[in-house]
Amino acid sequence: MTALGSWFISALEELGGVTRFFILILRTAFRTRGNLSRTCEQIVSVTLRSLPTVMFAGLFVGAILVLQYNLVLERYDAQSLLGGLNTSSVLREIGPLIISFLLAGKIGAYTAAELGTMRVTEQIDAIECLGTNPIQYLIVPRFVGIVISSVLLLILGLMVSIGGSMWVAQTLCGINMLQYATSIPQFTDGTTIAGGMFKSLCYGTIVGLVSCYKGYTATGGARGVGRAVTMAAVLTNFYIIIANFFSSMAIDIATETIRLIGEKFR
Amino acid sequence: MSIRFENVTKSFGPKTVLRDVSFEVAKGEILFVLGKSGMGKSVTLKHIVGTMKPTSGRVYVDGQDVTALDAEGLSDVRRKCGMVFQHPALLDSLSVFENVAFGLRTPQYIRQLPRPLTELEIEKIVIEKLSLVNLNKDILRQMPSEISYGMQKRVSLARTLAPGPQYLLFDEPTTGLDPISTTAVNDLIFELSRKLKVTSVVVSHDMACALKIADRVLVLDQAKILALETVTEIKKSKEPLIQDFLSETLALGSTQP
Repeated sequence: MTALGSWFISALEELGGVTRFFILILRTAFRTRGNLSRTCEQIVSVTLRSLPTVMFAGLFVGAILVLQYNLVLERYDAQSLLGGLNTSSVLREIGPLIISFLLAGKIGAYTAAELGTMRVTEQIDAIECLGTNPIQYLIVPRFVGIVISSVLLLILGLMVSIGGSMWVAQTLCGINMLQYATSIPQFTDGTTIAGGMFKSLCYGTIVGLVSCYKGYTATGGARGVGRAVTMAAVLTNFYIIIANFFSSMAIDIATETIRLIGEKFR
Repeated sequence: MSIRFENVTKSFGPKTVLRDVSFEVAKGEILFVLGKSGMGKSVTLKHIVGTMKPTSGRVYVDGQDVTALDAEGLSDVRRKCGMVFQHPALLDSLSVFENVAFGLRTPQYIRQLPRPLTELEIEKIVIEKLSLVNLNKDILRQMPSEISYGMQKRVSLARTLAPGPQYLLFDEPTTGLDPISTTAVNDLIFELSRKLKVTSVVVSHDMACALKIADRVLVLDQAKILALETVTEIKKSKEPLIQDFLSETLALGSTQP
């Protein structure tokens, strides 16, 4: 019981630390003059580094879902719904979730390791002592870069996923691409796309925030950096799963509200 | 114009590394802070630049209470203080030139100038500071990972000197350096202090070096000041720890105290 209590307290402290760090980033980003070139550099570097992984993952996420849905729909002779069902699932749930897990492993771990190494080798202290705010110089460009490139990568990953699904549906399930595409609007509308984008933004924020926080607060030499990287990966995935639940709920409520408003004005 | 510690106590959880420590460093003075590992020597330096806050007590730089300053106030204090770290602490992603020029491009530095420096002027300062630490301009475009550890430490020193600090804080500046570079760095600390009236606080294990260039020596032990004396007084000290340091120096034969 005592162990559970201390775990709960340390989890709350961790959450408090991350929240304070997020506020600090936002305050610094809005109060000080941003470094556009460093931010753009980060966006390009993060996007290019993760593009092949995300494309590859996106392709297979779509393909797996097509095969799974096809098994069920075939039984009820409802394969004409495959495109819609698959695209809706990929856009709203599976795509953002799996791609952001990959980003957490690749970009999150890289960022935590880079910042952690800078911290334990006193590079961050040196920046501070030379009269530069390390949050402004190091963290804001990385955070903004990760958030923006996460959204870009998720969009690209989802597009590849949809394209890959169509190809798998035609090649392995014998469903015509046109038939597949025609069913997409039945299950996918503007709110589905907006929902996917909203989730991508949330998950990108989590990846950027947690990895920067764990790296920036790393202590204790090489072991400390290793611990920071592991914790960054674990916590990012943990927070993403929680965020997935709440963002799905929020999207459902928003979709229902929009539908009701639409009906009222019809 | 001085650094003053007033009843400073610093604890990390149950461990107290500084207890009620008070001392003052006068302008142009070279103060060596000696002590065994883990006795709060580096912590003392970090309090001066405000990267660490005391648990209680006050630290003054030029009469300004560093412990009470906000981020902007701290930036101004840090502009006056140059800190040389235990590690070279060079930014991996920047070349030697960019590292040394880093402090010349900060808003705090530019603000005190009538106009921002041109790239040519920056390059001139960078080359001048590198030559001060016995490095030539051939390494300007190299990355920190492409030069030796000793060279990295000297580049780090050049970076600290570039913005022309009034206070120099050295955290074991000669660790990992060859004897020639060690002598060069020690001579440089001495010259800067004497010619430019730069105040220096040097954290070190090197009693030989302290006896050679320090004005006063502060010895920390068990979180307290064991001695704060001139070199002549230190040489006569009967404290066992100081005796140990002195006998170690004699054994190494690097100096004749």
